[in-house]
Amino acid sequence: MISLAGRDILHAWGKFVFTGIGLGLLIGVTLVMAGVYRGMVDDGKVLLDNSGADLWVVQKGTLGPYAESSSINDDRYRGLLGIPGIAQAANVTYLTMQIGRSDGDVRAMVVGIAPGAAGTPGWPPYLIAGRQITRSHYEAVADIASGFQLGDYLNIRRNQYRVVGLTRRMVSSSGDPMVFIPLKDAQQAQFLKDNDTLWQNRRRTEANPAFNRAEVPGLLAAINASQETSQSVNAVLVRLQPGQAADQAAEAIRRWKRLTTYTRPQMEAILIGKLIATSARQIGMFLIILALVSAAIVAFIIYSLTMDKIREIAVLKLIGTKNRTIAAMIMQQSLALGLIGFVVGKITATFAAPFFPKYVLLIPQDSVVGFFAVLAICGLASLIAIRMALKVDPAEAIGG
Amino acid sequence: MNGKGIRIEGLSKRYGKGDTAVDALKQVDMQVAPGEVVGLIGPSGSGKSTLLKCLGAVIDPSGGRMTLGDQVIFDDGWKVRNLRALRRDKIGFVFQAPYLIPFLDVIDNVALLPMLTGMPNDQARAQALELLTALDVQHRISAMPSQLSGGEQQRVAIARGLINRPPVILADEPTAPLDSTRAMAVMRILNNMARKFETAIIVVTHDEKIIPTFKRIYHIRDGVTHEQVGEGRSLE
Amino acid sequence: MTRRTLALLAVLVPLLALFVYVGLSSGPLAPVAVTLATVQDRSLSPTLFGIGTVEARYTYKIGPTLTGRIKRLDVQVGDQVKAGQVLGEMEPVDLDERVRSQQAAAKRAEAVLREAEARRRYAQSQAQRFEKLFAKRMTSEEIISTKRQELQIADAVLSAAREDLARGASDYQALVAQRRNLRLTAPTDGVVAARNADPGTTIVAGQAVIELIDPDSLWINTRFDQISASKLEAGLPASIVLRSRNGQALDGRVLRAEPMADAVTEEILAKVAFEAPAQALPPIGELAEVSVALPALAATPVLPNAAVSLHAGRIGVWQVLDRALQFTPISLGAADLDGWVQVLAGLESGARVVVYREKALTERSRLHVVEQIPGVPR
Repeated sequence: MISLAGRDILHAWGKFVFTGIGLGLLIGVTLVMAGVYRGMVDDGKVLLDNSGADLWVVQKGTLGPYAESSSINDDRYRGLLGIPGIAQAANVTYLTMQIGRSDGDVRAMVVGIAPGAAGTPGWPPYLIAGRQITRSHYEAVADIASGFQLGDYLNIRRNQYRVVGLTRRMVSSSGDPMVFIPLKDAQQAQFLKDNDTLWQNRRRTEANPAFNRAEVPGLLAAINASQETSQSVNAVLVRLQPGQAADQAAEAIRRWKRLTTYTRPQMEAILIGKLIATSARQIGMFLIILALVSAAIVAFIIYSLTMDKIREIAVLKLIGTKNRTIAAMIMQQSLALGLIGFVVGKITATFAAPFFPKYVLLIPQDSVVGFFAVLAICGLASLIAIRMALKVDPAEAIGG
Repeated sequence: MNGKGIRIEGLSKRYGKGDTAVDALKQVDMQVAPGEVVGLIGPSGSGKSTLLKCLGAVIDPSGGRMTLGDQVIFDDGWKVRNLRALRRDKIGFVFQAPYLIPFLDVIDNVALLPMLTGMPNDQARAQALELLTALDVQHRISAMPSQLSGGEQQRVAIARGLINRPPVILADEPTAPLDSTRAMAVMRILNNMARKFETAIIVVTHDEKIIPTFKRIYHIRDGVTHEQVGEGRSLE
Repeated sequence: MTRRTLALLAVLVPLLALFVYVGLSSGPLAPVAVTLATVQDRSLSPTLFGIGTVEARYTYKIGPTLTGRIKRLDVQVGDQVKAGQVLGEMEPVDLDERVRSQQAAAKRAEAVLREAEARRRYAQSQAQRFEKLFAKRMTSEEIISTKRQELQIADAVLSAAREDLARGASDYQALVAQRRNLRLTAPTDGVVAARNADPGTTIVAGQAVIELIDPDSLWINTRFDQISASKLEAGLPASIVLRSRNGQALDGRVLRAEPMADAVTEEILAKVAFEAPAQALPPIGELAEVSVALPALAATPVLPNAAVSLHAGRIGVWQVLDRALQFTPISLGAADLDGWVQVLAGLESGARVVVYREKALTERSRLHVVEQIPGVPR
């Protein structure tokens, strides 16, 4: 038996390979698109992973701290520690902001981490350089995506922080690099107003006769001081003792502490189901469009390759070649084209992924699905060409 | 002649229906014995191509009778179920243009049919080589069709037509693109092959150079054949 | 034909090789780049880090004891003053007039006294004369009784006049003291830190008009996080960096750790004094970073804090044993500010542990040991 498809490919391999590479670039874009979606989901997952928490305790009735703003008093964690099964509870603040750098600024999520040691919920779980924060103020661990290096100084509000450690893949759910700073600094950064506002507030309070009373010296100062302090955090991260059921502990917190509590699956559902739902649908649309475009292009390529051979096909039919043989030839060529395209696409996608500003995660399952999708699309796309080839009249070879 | 070769009796072909019907073939009677090469000549529009297509089993005649060897293949309707198998096994084609498969080399162009029908590749190629040697193109078996001269291509095409040892070969203007020397060479080959493989060969042509070589000629005019004795000029 | 096949292979084989490489070098099969470190025995010198504000040990808030209006203030913020120096004065209102009236009243009492003395002398001489006459029986008993009584009355009038004079003098002294109290005087040497009101302002009793501080008594009221502030005690050397003089460390010493901690901010308070009096006076309230060096600890196994990780709910490190990766739970001791932490249990010195890593590890991770994680700038 002779492989007509193989021989044809061998005959015109240059054209074939280059067409395959072209198709491969398109498939690469499709794979990257899927990778962008996976990257978004992964951003959410690493956010949860990196927090090291089993439970998230947030302001009652909110979807905080990632999907909604949430604010609770920073002494609530002490009460949580009394609930059975809870190993650790740590305050945390999250604030997405522009961080000053020597050359302009960079968008980052500032995470305020509770004092303690590595392993405390909220702390970066691993570093790629430097060390964890040891001073209780004015030190920062930054993600390498922010562009900071060890020893750099970054400006958050009015204070300068020295970068002592670097992380990788510590990002917010929207892909902004994280910067970890001590909790007290972060509380200040989040809730402390700028100096002008402070002055104006002081003057406002001073102008209020109820607060500025000559017969009560010190009242004004006390009121000003109380206005300028903050005892709020965004959430309490809770780590359970090994073997403790998360739902049970979460229920206890909801019931006795009257705070909204999320477990890991609930948090994932919020991040993936609510925060990136529209983006995911958007990417889904793009994937469908790209699949259709790929299918159309494969169909067109195979169609024109077949059109080039219409005379030969007529001759083959005239001299008695079976339809199956001819259809197999076209189908095999289409699949071979898809195969080359997939290989090229996978390679392109892998090499292109690191250059995207947001994280692109290529997972093997997607590649496998993509592979079969490509084959299916190529198979389907070849049907048009096969149909046309089968309709060729062998009499055309005789002419006249 | 006893029941061998191809015999056509009262073959007709009508295109269309009712008032617009055109009778392309009205009354075709032909008989070609194994080993014989006959010419089929006629002006444009005389029905040559239609007759060729009917003989090649790619269009359906409207009436009449065709007998191939001992087998009646058409009698007011096809008597064979698989026309493609009929074409493959019983009829060889040689065209005006050689229509070789451009992506196969010479030997595989010739060996294609048996390979597709399940003959081991080596065996099919051995057969092809034998034919190509007989046609004196054995030195080009690894060349691609585009690398061959016109005469070589035509010889390869003839070899392809012969590979399945069909009882009938239909040759459509096989010498048209060739100069007279090469045309004569092709005719000589066709005659040699006809004798060698006991094949009935019908050569459709209006090439003045080769008409004198036929011993027997069928003229076709307005869908009717007229048999006529040719000059039978020697090809040597 | 063969050449074509070779050419096709020349394209397809590298493509496939690249494909296989891509499949192995990315995704879950790819090895994780890590750096390793060896646990070593070392003595740590832990340091406490806190921030605080510059405060004066003694702040003198000087104001009037009575409600009144400020007459004059002689000093401005920043002026050096001596103990006893008059800083300003409250409006006396009618106090001066009352002093003068009291002076006049005293003089009048003196005159009354003189008159009473004169009367008594006369009454005494009369009484003596009539006593002699009576002895010679040249006068009546009745007259001598009258003269004796007149002397007694004159005595009484004289002592009344004496007491009157003493009372007037005391009243005068009291008014003078009150008048003096209107002056605001410096109780000690120092610097004027605040001037809260200006002349003409009415001030309630007890409200501070001038705040005085002693520049030699400046200290840093420092807050240390409770979580790391064990072993904070008086006498430990400290290094102070003022916010306005970033990078310039001043020597200090922990004066005392406050017995009262802040329950809201979860901080321990301590007072850290400058070792040498600050040259230029830092403003009160300026932010300062204070590092307190604790005594060096005995040598124990230590490792970088970047190696510590959380896995399956336990604190530990990823230990490399003969190319195999294993999570070893450990318990940690003291840490210093350079990122070293003591291992109290779980690891011996000499153990190889993973420090930096590209991504989170699991027991099945394949390792690619490097000197530095790719992508980190040198």
